[in-house]
This record gives sequence, C-alpha cells and structure tokens, in this order.
Amino acid sequence: MLKFPKSAAIAALALAVCASPALAEGDADAGKKVFNKCKACHTVGDGAKHRVGPHLNDVFGRTAGTAEGYKYSKAMIAAGEGGLVWDDATMAEYLANPKAMIKGTKMAFAGLKEDADVANVSAYLKSFAAEPAEEPAAAEDAAVETEDAEVETAAATTEDTAEPGAAEMTFEASKGAFGLGRVATVEEITAWDIDIRPDGAGLPVGKGTVADGEPIFTDYCAVCHGDFGEGAGRWPVLAGGHDTLTKERPEKTIGSYWPYLSTVFDYVRRTMPFGDARSLSDDDVYALTAYLLYLNDVVEDEDFELSNENFTSIRLPNEENFFDDNRMSEPHYAQGVEPCMSDCKPGPVEITARAQVLDVTPEGEGDENAGGGID
Amino acid sequence: MVSKPDPKGTPRAASRRDFLKTGLMGGAAIAAGAGAAKAGGDPLITEIQDWNRYLGEGVDAAPYGTPSEFEAHVVRRNVPWLTADPVSSINFTPLHELDGIITPNGLCFERHHGGTAIINPADHRLMINGLVDTPLVFTMEDLKRFPRENRAYFLECAANGGMEWKGAQLNGCQFTHGMIHCVVYTGVPLRYLLEEAGVKTNGKWLLAEGADASAMTRSIPMEKALDDCLVAFKMNGEALRAEQGYPLRLCVPGWEGNMWVKWLRRLEVGDQPWHQREETSKYTDLLAEGKARRHTWVMDVKSVITNPSPQAPVTHGKGPLVISGLAWSGGGTIKRVDVSIDGGRNWREARIDGPSLPKALHRFYLDINWDGSDLLLQSRAIDDQGLVQPSKDQLRAARGGNSIYHNNGIQTWHVNTDGVVENVEVS
Repeated sequence: MLKFPKSAAIAALALAVCASPALAEGDADAGKKVFNKCKACHTVGDGAKHRVGPHLNDVFGRTAGTAEGYKYSKAMIAAGEGGLVWDDATMAEYLANPKAMIKGTKMAFAGLKEDADVANVSAYLKSFAAEPAEEPAAAEDAAVETEDAEVETAAATTEDTAEPGAAEMTFEASKGAFGLGRVATVEEITAWDIDIRPDGAGLPVGKGTVADGEPIFTDYCAVCHGDFGEGAGRWPVLAGGHDTLTKERPEKTIGSYWPYLSTVFDYVRRTMPFGDARSLSDDDVYALTAYLLYLNDVVEDEDFELSNENFTSIRLPNEENFFDDNRMSEPHYAQGVEPCMSDCKPGPVEITARAQVLDVTPEGEGDENAGGGID
Repeated sequence: MVSKPDPKGTPRAASRRDFLKTGLMGGAAIAAGAGAAKAGGDPLITEIQDWNRYLGEGVDAAPYGTPSEFEAHVVRRNVPWLTADPVSSINFTPLHELDGIITPNGLCFERHHGGTAIINPADHRLMINGLVDTPLVFTMEDLKRFPRENRAYFLECAANGGMEWKGAQLNGCQFTHGMIHCVVYTGVPLRYLLEEAGVKTNGKWLLAEGADASAMTRSIPMEKALDDCLVAFKMNGEALRAEQGYPLRLCVPGWEGNMWVKWLRRLEVGDQPWHQREETSKYTDLLAEGKARRHTWVMDVKSVITNPSPQAPVTHGKGPLVISGLAWSGGGTIKRVDVSIDGGRNWREARIDGPSLPKALHRFYLDINWDGSDLLLQSRAIDDQGLVQPSKDQLRAARGGNSIYHNNGIQTWHVNTDGVVENVEVS
C-alpha cells in the first residue's frame, strides 16, 4: 500500500484543518479544491476569461445567462429571463444536478454529490465577488499561520480529518520490476476505457431510436454537419456519397466509406459534440447512431431502435472493401532495380503542369477552395 | 539545360509575389553595394554603425530567448481553405528557412483534432489497462524514474503532400512538404512500461489514447510497441511544447504522425485492432478501383529540395549555387540522394552532410555552378533497404487519382532565368 502523492496529501490535510471550523457555512479554501472539478471549463479570479464555460467572477447575485460575451445555451438564457438569479439556494440546486434544474444547459458536469462540496465551492466562488462578503485577508492570514503546524502534525491526523479525494485515497503499489506507478482501480478504468470494437466489445448498455436521434442531431450536430449530414462548409459530410468512391471527387461518408458502425458510436461518444465532448448520455449516442444509419439509408424505419443487443447485427455497406497494406507489391517498389543515372528520359523534359495555374498558395489573394485536401 | 522554356512566359502571380521578396532582400543589397563603390567603400564598413557604438540589452532581457527580429518571417503557416476550423487543422514547418536535420521546437508543424490541450503535468496520468497482469497508473514523476533514451526521429503526417496528389498546386516546400519535423526526443522505452504491467500472451495490439478534446486513438501492433516506441516528455532537450503533446506524447518512429498520440493518457492492450475513426474513415488509402488500403503505417522513402524552392528563389544570379534538401525513410537511414537539374533526365549523387540516423531527417547538398539557364530540379532518395523514391506518375499509375496519404513522389521545381522558382510537374 502507498499514499499518493505525499505532498498532495499534506496539502490536502492543511486545507482540511483550516476548513473544519467553518464547514457549515462553506469554506473557501476547501472549495478551491472542489473547484478543480470545474477548472476544465471555468476560470475565476484575476484575468478570468470565458472558456468552455463562462468565467465565474461575481457569479453570485448575477442573473443566469448574462455574463457578457459568453454564448449560453438557449435554456440558460431562458432561465435568466424567467428570473433565475444565482444565490446560495439556486446555486446549490444547480450544482447538485445541473441538467435536472436546467434542461438543455451546455454544462456537461454531472453534479456534486456532497452538500459540503456545494457549500465550499460556493464559498470559494463568493471570494471572487467585487465586494467580498467575507474577509478574505483574514482567511489568508489564517492559512499562512497554520501552514507550519499542519506539516508537523500531518502524520498524526491524516487518517481521520482529511476530506475524501484523490490525495487521500490509498492505492496498491505496482508489482512490476521497477515497482513504479500503482494499480489502477476499477472505477478509474471504467471512467477512461470507453473504446468500442467492431465485435461490440466495450458497448455500454443502452438504446435509442432514429426518432429519438433526430432532435439531438438537430440541436447538437446540424450546425456543422448539416440537417441531413450533408456537411456545412468544410465540416465532415456524414451521409450520402453512394457509388462515388471511384469517381473524381469521392464522398467518403459513414454510408459510402466507413467499414464499421462501432467507429461511429465510439467517435461520437468520445469527441462529440465537438467542443463539449462526453456530454451526451449513452442512450443519446445510441439514438444519434441510429439516426446516422437512417440518414445513410442503412435503416429505413424511423422507429428502428439501436441497442447494445442488436448493434453488431448492423453492417455498413463498404466493410468488405478494405485490405491491409500491400504497398511493397506496387511496381515501383517491387522491381527493386538500380535507378537510372543518365539519359533516363528519351528527350528534353517539358513542363506539363504548374502550381500557378491554380494559385491557391496562401499570402496571395487566392484563398478559395481548391482540389485535394488533407481529409 | 531545359530546351523548351514555358511558352506562356513567367506566370503573373509568381512574378509579382516573388519580385516583392527579391526586391526587399536581394535588390536592397545590390543598391547599397553600388552606392558604396562610389564612396570608396561599403558604408556598412567605412561608417560606424549603431550596434557598434551603443550598448545592447543586458542579460535577462528575454529570459526565454526568441529568434532575432530579422527572422520574424520564419514561422509556421496555415492553409486556411484546407480545413473547416483551426481547432482541427494543420500548419506547416518552414523547411525552406531551415538547415541541418533538427527542427526548432517552435517551428514544428502542428496538427490537432480538438485544439491544444493545456494540462498541468501534476494533473496528468498515464494508464495501462486491458490484457495485462496488472493495470497501472503512472504520474509524470513515476515516468521520469524509468531509464531514458535520447533519439532523433522525423515525424511526418501521412497527409504530407496530399494536396499535390492530383497535380502541382501549392507554391512552396513549406506547403507541399512541411508536415514534417525532426527533433531529439527524451523518453522512456514503451516496452519498460508494458513490461511493468505485464502484457498477457494474447495481447497483440495496443490502443494509444490522448487526453485532449478529440481523445485521439490509434491501434498499434504490439510488435512495434515493444520494438522502438518511446513515451517522450522532452524534445530537443526541453519539455514538449503544448502543441506537441505536453506533458507526454508517444513516439512511433518511422510511422505516420497521427499514431504519435499527443497528451498520451492511456495504453490499452487487446487481441485485435480497434478500427477507430483515424484508422478507418481517415488515414486509409482509397485506390482507383474503389477499394482502400488500411494500416499503412510506415512513412515511405522521400526527399525534397528545400533551397532553391518557390519561397526561396535564387537572388544572387549565376555562379556558385548551393542546392540543399532533406531526405528520410520510415524504413531506416538514407543510403543515397540523387539530384537532377534537367527534370530527371540525368542524375548525380548529392552529398549527405551531418548525422545519418535511422528514421531521422538527412540533409543533402549539391554544389553547382549555375549558368543562369532554366533548371528543373528534382531529388530522389534511396534508403538502406534499397527502396527508391518513385515519381508522381508511378504513384498515380499504381493508386489512381483519389489517394491523399503517403504521397512520396519526386518533386520538381522550375527555376527560371531570373531565379524565380515554381512548383511544376514534368513529362
């Protein structure tokens, strides 16, 4: 068994000891740690900017959906227009289960399970108000004063005072030759191992119909991929393209090119909606996958339901048309002859094509779409 | 050299764009030289210059140094029409401005599928799971306690040159060949990490996954993973740049760049490939009959002349001319590079200078005495397996017109009598 990492454990203990006197009211220092869960999308403090989520300076007392310059979901704007103002009660409700309170919020976060975490992170956010409700200077002094003491008493008090969290979890040491790293927990593997294979390995339990998928696609996908998967601008085309693979401009879509349906589910679940990855439920992903099958004419019934039960029975039309690398059999490699050094072409060499005819090199005026691409 | 000059004469756009460049650099130098002669000497020598009189900045003026202000044009560039949005796009290494074999970190081309992930190394974890005896999690600190290796490797995007498949299109080796860089990586051999977890006997494949918003994934055969792959945290001696996967990336030497997963967070061992998006819908090679190759991992034997090239015209007139370029092969080292100045009719062996390391860039030179006539420059690399870089026509004959990836065809630059260079194809 090992504690991990040691420095983090001590730091967490310091926070925990500071936190204990004010836990009921919510403790800003403890909330700072809770806020780590939020930091992927939100910033707060000096120089805070909108990222995936809005900055959270002065969020208490603000009407929902009104931070200047941030593009909110329609649902959040409507909530603000309906009179929602962030205070202790509304914030607590939202943080406990965001999607239950505001259906349609962009915030992908599942919610904070512990009331203490909600109180603490609220206290932390209040400390970034224009007129702080509490006395942050005093709190800072206290933290500085107690710092040394905590380090000295760390060994004695670690086990019974610390908040639960990575710093306080215990892990099994690696048994490998180097003994480095530690054993991954089942929960950790479950959280990250979301890949799906063509044989269905990795599929979560769930289901969704074509009809379920259509509104989700319209809300989250159509802005880039078009209402019918035809693609907007140079964003990927998802449907159509049948019988184009031998034509001059092949359209490589799910229906015309992709070999396996598992790739659709896997990719949507890990990456989409683009910029808000992992925000869809597994049922949503089943429904979207069913809808994409419908857009590609692989299924034709709007009531078709895709689930983990029937997933591998669906085959995409182009599956058989892929084969493994055989470049070495191409004539220019297979022949293996010494290259010619002199008089290799019958007569003087002539120019047959010039880049300037197209003139699409950047820095000129010619930034129009051209042939070819990086796919 | 070239018997028949282009019947249409110098193209309009080339002359305007390149004349500006020539005028600013070469032209100005000539004017100063002429004036100097009248005054009995070059004023840059006969007059005391500011930098010779006044003190410069002290140490620490730039705690992390930057290139000279006179090199401000040496930057990566994007081709805006190529992709829908910069967060899933690519830019290009300015090969025509570089020499030697090592690419400076700030000039290594970028390719992201979900923007640059910003990760505090203290928050980064690498997990190994799947068909292993013990699934493990490593911190960055753990990884730095394994024995390390230093290796120079090129990284080339499989799509390098993809825009040129149908014909000459972009005027500059930065754009035709700039999806490549070569740096010295410091990292831990991947096999040490896999051995630490204990790969089960049916573990034949590895899925590498990134921590970015695209959660990039690629399947890699176990044989390669145990051979020469590295889990790297340094490039050219310093930490990886954020856009190159800080704090941790996978190196898959000689294989297509997409497999070098950045922000590496997970390695899963399995008994078959996963057929992820980037190895089915992308990075597969559509052939003329409508069928597609997959698992085309190795980057082919290839070379390009970087100088002169369209962005680096000849400004000095006839006389001694250094023809310089890069050659590489995912199969190993480069045995020989041939250069032609007459469009591939006659070839002579170029001089490789600097280290010749497997799966790294090689620098070659051919020093000629230019007579001022038209040149059709080509280079042709041959690797240590004897594979010869093919012509573009040979590739099209074998694969048709719809391929994108793995274009290693021989590049032709036309140098006209004014020293202006254009991307062309030849008979």
